Amino acid sequence: MTHGGWLRWGSLAAAALVFAGLYVRVITAPSPGGFAPPQTARVVSSAAPLYRAELLPNSTAASVHSATAAEISGGRLRAFWYGGSREGASDVAIYTSLYSPKEGSWSPERVVMTRELAQRQLRRTVRKLGNPVAGRDRAGRLCLFFVSVSVGGWAGSAINLMVSEDEGETWSPPRRLVASPFFNISTLVKGPPLQFADGATGLPVYHEFLGKFGELLRLDALGHVIQKTRLSWGQSSLQPVIVPRSETEAVAFMRYAGNPPNRILVIRTSDGGAHWSAPVKAALPNPNAAIASVLLADGRLLLAFNNAEENREDLSLAISEDFGDTWRILRRLEGDSSSSGAPVPEYSYPWIMQDRAGDIHMLYTWGRSRIKHVRFNTAWLERRR
Amino acid sequence: MPASDAFGLFGCGLLGLAAVATVIHRWRLPAGARYALMLAAAFAVFIPFGELPAAAYLRGVTGDLSVTTLCLAGCACITRLTGKALIEPRERQVLYQLLALAALFLYPFALGWTPFDPYSLGYGSIGFVTVLLMVTLAAWRAKLYAVVFIVIAAGLAYLAGAYESRNLWDYLIDPLVSVYALVRLLSGLRHRLSGEVTQPAG
Repeated sequence: MTHGGWLRWGSLAAAALVFAGLYVRVITAPSPGGFAPPQTARVVSSAAPLYRAELLPNSTAASVHSATAAEISGGRLRAFWYGGSREGASDVAIYTSLYSPKEGSWSPERVVMTRELAQRQLRRTVRKLGNPVAGRDRAGRLCLFFVSVSVGGWAGSAINLMVSEDEGETWSPPRRLVASPFFNISTLVKGPPLQFADGATGLPVYHEFLGKFGELLRLDALGHVIQKTRLSWGQSSLQPVIVPRSETEAVAFMRYAGNPPNRILVIRTSDGGAHWSAPVKAALPNPNAAIASVLLADGRLLLAFNNAEENREDLSLAISEDFGDTWRILRRLEGDSSSSGAPVPEYSYPWIMQDRAGDIHMLYTWGRSRIKHVRFNTAWLERRR
Repeated sequence: MPASDAFGLFGCGLLGLAAVATVIHRWRLPAGARYALMLAAAFAVFIPFGELPAAAYLRGVTGDLSVTTLCLAGCACITRLTGKALIEPRERQVLYQLLALAALFLYPFALGWTPFDPYSLGYGSIGFVTVLLMVTLAAWRAKLYAVVFIVIAAGLAYLAGAYESRNLWDYLIDPLVSVYALVRLLSGLRHRLSGEVTQPAG
């Protein structure tokens, strides 16, 4: 056979083999399952109202923000947040602290990730670190997602994932998640991860490059992005928080960054997250600020939000008995005359969860200088003030 | 070092070497000097000075580059060093057109202006693979083997999981090669138009 013949038929044979591989990859990919059923084994805590609040330790950072937490063995809580001289500074690191419910106190904070370590382990430049988000994968490992930026502002962000086999004492090197075709920039995270029935992990993310919109990533057991679904589009929705209540049904809340009236955005799915409704504005206000929500063991939906259209001075709790159609505002945690004010009156970026014993934990940024932890139960929520 | 990091750093380093080769080519140096300079550039790009090699700084900005960029950068290095063109002008022209079309389809929608997200097709879509197959077969029929080989290389890298991404788009195209293709197409168009204007009548 001539050189031209080898080139012609050899290239065709190679292309045939590669495309056979591509088709096999697509055809044998597992079909996406719905959401994993929410945990229902929680015991509702005692009827006596419980409310405790304290500031997390912070011995070094002038500015802290964006707390997240996961329940670990022994009913303890492991929290993470970022702190440094200011938001976006190169000295910002991700900190962790451990909460023991028996002692009711937090351990001294320690650093789990710095810019320098991220740069070395990711093998690329890293200019600054941002939001961490904690959760668990289907194997039960503790996962920590965190934002890093190599160039530009937050619009240049990418998400990284590291996992821990020992409840957060030691961590794997971070792995970069690839979720955007634009140099993989402009993907950020704020909402908690969730589980799919097929073993994949779901991660609600958002983009800020030219547009502001949310997406739901599906990650395989190794932390690779294997699918994504658009939650919203346009230039005004970000920081999705997804709350499933069955294998098929979930509601998601999003921060709103558009024209007034400034309201929380709500979207829904009834097919396990494959398709989502167009965003609609809820009755509750949103001053372009993060929201947190959790499905309580009794089936009600609890929402933490800034109850104002223009500032983050009022941090409140609302409850819904119809999965987000209507809301009743129950408590104002910050912003009334009785609460002790922070030097900077900003109470934002709430993170809320219910532990296996039924107590509810909320972490949020307190005046940009501390992270505050509030622990309460449903009896306290419903108690008449 | 994980293989995906090694491959990603190699790609960014290769792009840096292609830029160096282009500069060296303009100096019209003897062959020995050209090779020596390229060797020195390879050390500068891949050997860490301080914490990271130079390729890692580029990687921080661009992320992992597509296999198409790697193929073009590799060809540029060889062409600039040896003077031997590996891709014919006709093949280059078609490749740029295909890249421009793909970029115009992918990037505007990926900005989130509509509910449609073509990037998600890259995670595993029969339709996407079939369109790519049709394009590859058309290129093969037209004897555009450079296009065929680039698709084969990208497909192999994707199947091997060479990069951190599991999205086929990331192996086929990136913003750098898209801009490069658009610039080359527009530049060719401008030359053609100016040639038509200056050509004497009759």
